[in-house]
Amino acid sequence: MERLKFIDRMASGKVSRRQMMQSAAAFGVGTMMLPRRVASAEVLTCLEWGGYDSPDYFSSYVAKYGAQPNFSIFAGEEDALAKVLAGFAADVMHPCNYSVSRFVNAGVAAEIDTSRLSHWNDIFPALQTAEGVVWEGKTVMAPADWGNSSLAFRPDLLPAEFAENPSWSIFYDEEYKGRVAMSDNEMAIIIGAMIGGMPYDEAYKMEGATLEAAAKEWGAKAVNISKFLWTDSSEVQQAMASGEIVAAYAWNDLVANLRAEGVPVVFAKPKEGMFTWFCGLTLLNTGKADEQAAYDFIDAWLAPETGKALIEGSGYGHSNMKSFEIADPEAIANMGITDPVEMMKDTIVFKTPSDTVQEGFNKVWADTKALKY
Amino acid sequence: MILMLALPVAALVLLSFWTQNGFELDRTLTVENYAQLVRLSDEPTIWFGIPFYFAYPVPAILMLKSLVMSLTATIAVIALAYPMAYFLAFRITRNKAMWIILITIPFWTSYLLRVFAWKVVLGFNGAINSGLKAIGIIDQPLEFLLYNPGAVVVTLAHSWVAFAILPIYVSLEKIDRSLLEAASDLGDSKLRRFLRVTLPLSAPGTVAAALLVFIPTVGDYVTPTLVGGPGGTMIGNLVQELFLKQNNAPLGAAVAIMMMLIIAVVVAIFLWAIGYRRIRARRM
Repeated sequence: MERLKFIDRMASGKVSRRQMMQSAAAFGVGTMMLPRRVASAEVLTCLEWGGYDSPDYFSSYVAKYGAQPNFSIFAGEEDALAKVLAGFAADVMHPCNYSVSRFVNAGVAAEIDTSRLSHWNDIFPALQTAEGVVWEGKTVMAPADWGNSSLAFRPDLLPAEFAENPSWSIFYDEEYKGRVAMSDNEMAIIIGAMIGGMPYDEAYKMEGATLEAAAKEWGAKAVNISKFLWTDSSEVQQAMASGEIVAAYAWNDLVANLRAEGVPVVFAKPKEGMFTWFCGLTLLNTGKADEQAAYDFIDAWLAPETGKALIEGSGYGHSNMKSFEIADPEAIANMGITDPVEMMKDTIVFKTPSDTVQEGFNKVWADTKALKY
Repeated sequence: MILMLALPVAALVLLSFWTQNGFELDRTLTVENYAQLVRLSDEPTIWFGIPFYFAYPVPAILMLKSLVMSLTATIAVIALAYPMAYFLAFRITRNKAMWIILITIPFWTSYLLRVFAWKVVLGFNGAINSGLKAIGIIDQPLEFLLYNPGAVVVTLAHSWVAFAILPIYVSLEKIDRSLLEAASDLGDSKLRRFLRVTLPLSAPGTVAAALLVFIPTVGDYVTPTLVGGPGGTMIGNLVQELFLKQNNAPLGAAVAIMMMLIIAVVVAIFLWAIGYRRIRARRM
């Protein structure tokens, strides 16, 4: 009855503020007195790309610890870095060859002791020492997956001339306004500059006035022509499956997934070139979990079983040479090139911009997007 | 109050006087962030035909755009909520509580889900497009529904309508019915009675509802992120972008504080305008 009386008095405005605060404090005290979770065994926290949180990719970790780690999904490495710098305590992050330096320079990446990784010796030797895996003489990324960024399009919805001679210029063509989707990334400016005749080796490190001009000319065009700028690969996949968009900046998984659904789609080799990236796991020094758990997680990513799942499930390559021995031969044949070294010779490998260049791109790209109407 | 409001705001103000230098936070106090927001340039950036003479025009442009979008959403919310509240206050005589609960039922689901639902409704293969296609009005899906400022305004209007119905309803409910009878007895038509008695007496609730919708929607960023596309970006997205993408928290804090001040000024002007009119009406 006492409780009901209190509510009655509160409703008729007879409770003084002090009494109100006291009652509120009682609730606060209640929360503080609730049993705390045992703090000893911190769960591993991973910053991961959307889709890579599937347990297929780290089955040996799950087998050992009986549970998945915690995931925080990011849309781009810069988001993830800002999150870590803002105080997010992650143990492991999944950067790529061109972005790992940002984590090293920000002082959040730790050197990896490769002797603690059981699968390290099966990694393609070229990847073990590639720029990005090794940065300033230290191994800072355990390479895991590699693949391409290119132009994916629907051949059934585009004229035959385009299919014969695909070009990135579709993203800057008024004729395709609202029917294409670029990714939400400064690549829109870089690729534009490449169409304008600048080689990738210069375009990736544009700065100052050159960058401003390229953003005004190409970035603004890409933003206005694109139906939306995708940050989430399932979003662009659905739009492409429905025919809402006919061409997109994409990774191999989009093509593999759409083909599995029976949607006709081509992963083009545009005349300006297709891009290759390789990504991997970086140990962060901001984590709270046991370091051994982080190593086990990284090692799980390097396992041939993970490679098999990557190759068969999304058409990505894997860093472990043994993966190609156990994966379905048909899936391997679908990939085309299965040697990362050959792949890199044949395509444009993403390069690492300096911190100032990257920060310049971040700002200019954000401003370009904001000015769309 | 101190713990939940004053401290965070103070931290934000302090942060806005620091500067970001690469990965380092420079802790010397400076007004550089604010100077950056108002620094002028000779070459204007033209946006929608309006020249902006700023060296860094993005915040000013997005601020103006957000104010316009949220004002449109607020007007739409009041236009939707007022008739509903009127119906609730004057036409419903029994089971009022049940009606109020019915109106608020959609708001038992998460805000995020409701915004996402609009994405499904407005989408390329969404409810509107497939419906119109099925009855043969269009043969190509309408492209202009999603990923633009219009989609943001529609979604905001729907999301906030329940917050407007309740204050308007309360003020309508409180109106003394004998005043309405008196107006009718003295020969007012139904319309004149509404304009001269009901509307002025419900003004406090309506104003409260408008502010309740306007103030939070200016800074919203979830809705533009999900349904706005790049064309529907608002000032909240810029703040989020500065904090979490460009790694420039001090500038983000300065933009956030400028936004709060501008909203406060706009609201003050709005209240002053209403109060002013009322005083003049009384003199006559």
